[in-house]
Amino acid sequence: MNKRAVGYELVVFVTQWGLILIGFGILTKLVAPLNLLDTTLSLGRIFDAGMKGLIALILSVAWLFIWDRQVRRYFQRRPRQ
Amino acid sequence: MASLGANTIAILIALGSFPVSLALTRFFMYWNSGHGITGIDVHKLNRPKVPEMVGVAVPLTIVLFAAIYSLIEGASSIPLLAYSLVVGLAALVGALDDRLKMRGIFKPLFTLLCGLPILILGVMFPGQIYNSTLHVPLFGGYHLPVIYPLTILVAVSVTSNTVNMLDPLNGSMAGGISIVAGGLLIGSILIGAGSTPIFLYASLMFSLLGFLYYNRFPAVAFAGNVGQLSIGASVGALAILGRTEIASIVAIFPNIQNSFFFLSRIRRFTEHRELISRPTKLLPDGRLADSGDPRAPLTLVRTLLIGRPATENQIVSTIWMLFLTSTSLAVITLLLTGVVI
Repeated sequence: MNKRAVGYELVVFVTQWGLILIGFGILTKLVAPLNLLDTTLSLGRIFDAGMKGLIALILSVAWLFIWDRQVRRYFQRRPRQ
Repeated sequence: MASLGANTIAILIALGSFPVSLALTRFFMYWNSGHGITGIDVHKLNRPKVPEMVGVAVPLTIVLFAAIYSLIEGASSIPLLAYSLVVGLAALVGALDDRLKMRGIFKPLFTLLCGLPILILGVMFPGQIYNSTLHVPLFGGYHLPVIYPLTILVAVSVTSNTVNMLDPLNGSMAGGISIVAGGLLIGSILIGAGSTPIFLYASLMFSLLGFLYYNRFPAVAFAGNVGQLSIGASVGALAILGRTEIASIVAIFPNIQNSFFFLSRIRRFTEHRELISRPTKLLPDGRLADSGDPRAPLTLVRTLLIGRPATENQIVSTIWMLFLTSTSLAVITLLLTGVVI
């Protein structure tokens, strides 16, 4: 068993946990209160939700990107000879 | 009984799912074996034949106990019905896949439909199944009347498939998800959740422990897709019914890690059986090692084996330890959900 790899997994989990809390915090405090489109218009409410959903999707992709970079850095290095 | 709290009664009823799951698992071991429903344990030197699809015992137990609890707690019957339908539909998709060997893309597509009972019953009985306000740790919450219902379908599909993907070794899925269910049960009790989610988390945990008794190393029963998909769908449905959405994502970090890197390397939905390059190999001394094949996916098990082979038992214990860590973070997340800074 690669003990260092286990340690790296734990670092990845804690980092991603911190990022998930920050990400949902951004959505709650910054994105959700925005009025991106006039919600009184017909379909305005749907498009407003869609825009905010898109922002959430971008944040999720960023979250997965950071996760991917971490794992590539920790686990896909050439082993020392 | 009258002096006992609702949560205590819920847990006591759920406790009954342990012996029932144990008995059903044993029954299906013999029945499936007798009908030629077996698989090969490729991580053993003697490659033993093991009865497959025995994990059907878990969704059967869960649905049976949901019905029993519904008879006792009549007011909760709608969420219990939604939950049972989700678990039952996912089990059906899994059973079809086990028997028909569907292509990898069909499982995520069909499991998208498994969340429909929550969505439909939620629309029919507003406020009884889900609440569109997402509670966020430390930051309060926000209302998602349009997006939340749509994410239900995705959530059930993601959890069922990600759980399905992390069951390569004896007891890895059953033990891991038992830890997740147990942790979220404790978290739900600590934050004062309703007795229905507490019952459902307890029932899931005890059902899984009954199955784990036979699925632990050296396994004499395999879950099959029928077990894996329904257990994953159960986690997704419970995240919505129990209001533990964010905590559930955190609890299944090991599953997400495994699935994400499998998909990022393979770049398509596929079955393990269709892979030409294997992430691990069996050594002559019975230990498992990284295959070293650059075309093979970087799975969770493979990351743990980089440069250092280990026994199956050691790997599974480590996976459970990772689940224990992620579930501890999930419990903290639940506790922080009530805190606003």
